[in-house]
Amino acid sequence: MRFSLGSRAGRCTAILVTALLTAGMGETGSEIQLKLRPRVCTLAANETQCSTTVHADWHSPREESLCLVILGRSDVKRCWEHYSQGTYSIELVFSDDLLFELKDARLETVLASQALRIIREAIRYRHRRRDPWNIFQ
Amino acid sequence: MWKLLIAFVLMAATTASAAPASSASDCDADSQDCVVVGKWNVSLAIGAGVRSNPLVHGQDLPLVVVPQISYYGKRFYIDNLDVGFTAVDGEANSLSLIASPGYDRIFFYRSDLQNIFVNLGGPSGPAGATPPPPVPFPSRPREITYLAGPEWTFNLHGIIGQFDVLREVTGHNHGEEVRTAIEFPVSRSTNRFSAAIGLTWQSAAIVNYYYGAPGIYESGSALRPFLKLKYSRPLGPGWRFEGIAQYEHLASAIADSPIVAQNYVVTAFFGFVHAF
Repeated sequence: MRFSLGSRAGRCTAILVTALLTAGMGETGSEIQLKLRPRVCTLAANETQCSTTVHADWHSPREESLCLVILGRSDVKRCWEHYSQGTYSIELVFSDDLLFELKDARLETVLASQALRIIREAIRYRHRRRDPWNIFQ
Repeated sequence: MWKLLIAFVLMAATTASAAPASSASDCDADSQDCVVVGKWNVSLAIGAGVRSNPLVHGQDLPLVVVPQISYYGKRFYIDNLDVGFTAVDGEANSLSLIASPGYDRIFFYRSDLQNIFVNLGGPSGPAGATPPPPVPFPSRPREITYLAGPEWTFNLHGIIGQFDVLREVTGHNHGEEVRTAIEFPVSRSTNRFSAAIGLTWQSAAIVNYYYGAPGIYESGSALRPFLKLKYSRPLGPGWRFEGIAQYEHLASAIADSPIVAQNYVVTAFFGFVHAF
């Protein structure tokens, strides 16, 4: 029994470490770091779209020539040549998760990526009042 | 008896509060029967209609713009001028404590909130700008009153029933009122056609508060049966056509009053409803 618990804890730790490494270094494990603010947009029960200004910051120990793009949004693209850091702010309206990617200048290799996720507030329902005594119901 | 009913509802509320949520598990979408928790619901009906006024020299009330506002919390709700606390919210039965304004004041004051809610912009201008209809006798105020008490509703295969046992709680007449109604779906197609019959019982205290003339006319309790027909046809997203006609018969306890000229109230409205 104790062995089983320990094994499960070990698996959880491994997943946590992997997640932290992925979050810190991007998908490819490169040293370029990409950060988004905000990282989550919460929709109220009566909302269908997020509308917010997103700030993207990237840092690299070396000078890089790269571009920031959003997967599936060809209208958004910002490039830097021989920079070790960069910032970009953009107002976005979206209804699904967005994946921000830093790619090389040829837009072939993903150097780092971060997701801006949407969390939808759980919509709860209840019965409407039944009021046949009321003339308008 | 009334205190016993209140105690029963409060006991049901206590029991229900211990449950993780109301038993509204059959509600999973905004529909005719279900509503989103925590959201204001506003709709506006624009059309043509009238509600007759049974008082001597009473002016009929034109119905042109009819707003409807409601808000439902997990248990608390606002339904136009009614407020309620739902103790049990089941698929078939619902038990609430409600507070609802006294109805009859609408015939004495055009500016009554219940009239504002059914006529924001009639041909005679905003409600309240029009002076009260002349009521020759007696000339005394009828204050805004609220009645409170338990409400039981049920939905049995589309047949909807309602049973309210209310007492005046604002200290103006201390009367009691029982409101009952049952609604039958006549057509279950996209076009909803329903018929409802109902009965209102008012204690002598309420009847005399509105229709009594001290020393001249004092009555006992009154029964007021009504028949309502309603037609609703969806027209597109957020829009529907509605037609409503209701006939309410006033008991002799009310109709025999010297300030009452008609023993009935007729209401009719046809118009387009938009839900925002």
